[in-house]
Amino acid sequence: MSQRLLFAVVALLAMAVIALALFWQPQLPSVPGLSSAPAGGDFVLTSADGPIDTAALRGKVVLIYFGYTYCPDICPTSLAVTSQALGKLAPDELALVKTVFVSVDPERDTPARLKSYVEFFHPSIVGVTGSAEQVALAAREYGAVYARQDVGGAGYVIDHSAWTYVVAPDGHLAGRIPHGATVEQTLAEIRKWLPSSSTPKGSS
Amino acid sequence: MKTISFAVAAATACFSLGAWAAGAADSVSVVDPYVRLAPPGAQATGAFMVLKNAGDKDVKVVKAENSASKITELHTHINENGVMKMRPVPAIDIKAKGEAVLQPGGLHVMMIDLKEPMKEGDKVAITLDFDDGSSKKVDATVRKPMPMPAMPAAADHSEHMKP
Repeated sequence: MSQRLLFAVVALLAMAVIALALFWQPQLPSVPGLSSAPAGGDFVLTSADGPIDTAALRGKVVLIYFGYTYCPDICPTSLAVTSQALGKLAPDELALVKTVFVSVDPERDTPARLKSYVEFFHPSIVGVTGSAEQVALAAREYGAVYARQDVGGAGYVIDHSAWTYVVAPDGHLAGRIPHGATVEQTLAEIRKWLPSSSTPKGSS
Repeated sequence: MKTISFAVAAATACFSLGAWAAGAADSVSVVDPYVRLAPPGAQATGAFMVLKNAGDKDVKVVKAENSASKITELHTHINENGVMKMRPVPAIDIKAKGEAVLQPGGLHVMMIDLKEPMKEGDKVAITLDFDDGSSKKVDATVRKPMPMPAMPAAADHSEHMKP
């Protein structure tokens, strides 16, 4: 009796497994290739001096960082490293690099506040933001994540990824520099993607 | 009458200040305290230092105050797969004969709602309150943000999505 029951259970399980194998086709998030690798992409956001369209930056190495000015530590550290790396570039190299600081806190960060904030680090950095939807869209393209947390006495803080994205002159997302990278590592990463015209013996 | 009550209050304050300056505050020394110069437009910044405990008892910093901002909190950062999560902590532990390192990317005294723009070289008076009721005053100098590899990620190479 119990043997028959056991057999029935085993048979049922086997059928379930076969059915799963035949009919269940797990869909990974609909990104081709690597399951969750963001591809980057263009966005238009607002700076104090007008809109910034990343599509207009083809031909340059573009560094993109998602942060906010209430960030007391992580953003200033990342920006300080980036600015020191920018400071080590030759003028003709620097002309081919654009750094874009995207505020994920459009509620508090006005374009004017962003301008004075980023220019403190390096005059070539531009601070941009937009509507919550526009910022979310840009962040999604790069795989940047952020989440508002109502903690502490500051009203709120924002958890955020702290990578500096590196966009090659052809517009593809070439890499990301982790928080805590050194100035030298950052500099090497920028130079790796600089158009060959800015290196001594270009071939293109 | 008003003057007398003021005098009494002042005397009490002085006395209690004297009383506080014992215990944990005596065994803890503060090394290289500094405040990160807040960029223009920034409303918050952090203070960093190393707290060394020469005593035989574990102590905790349970509260801090400072002269440059309206709100002071004890914070830390949690790095979850590259996502930085800043969170208030109830206390900063300093083990007996040990130290607590407040540094970029980790523990810090969070200064929120800065009263006025700061400049390099300014001094900020920071008061640390310990769990035994004692307290310690520290003068921290305002410094420009310096790249300091404080995170474990510092040793990593940059990640490449495509060769």
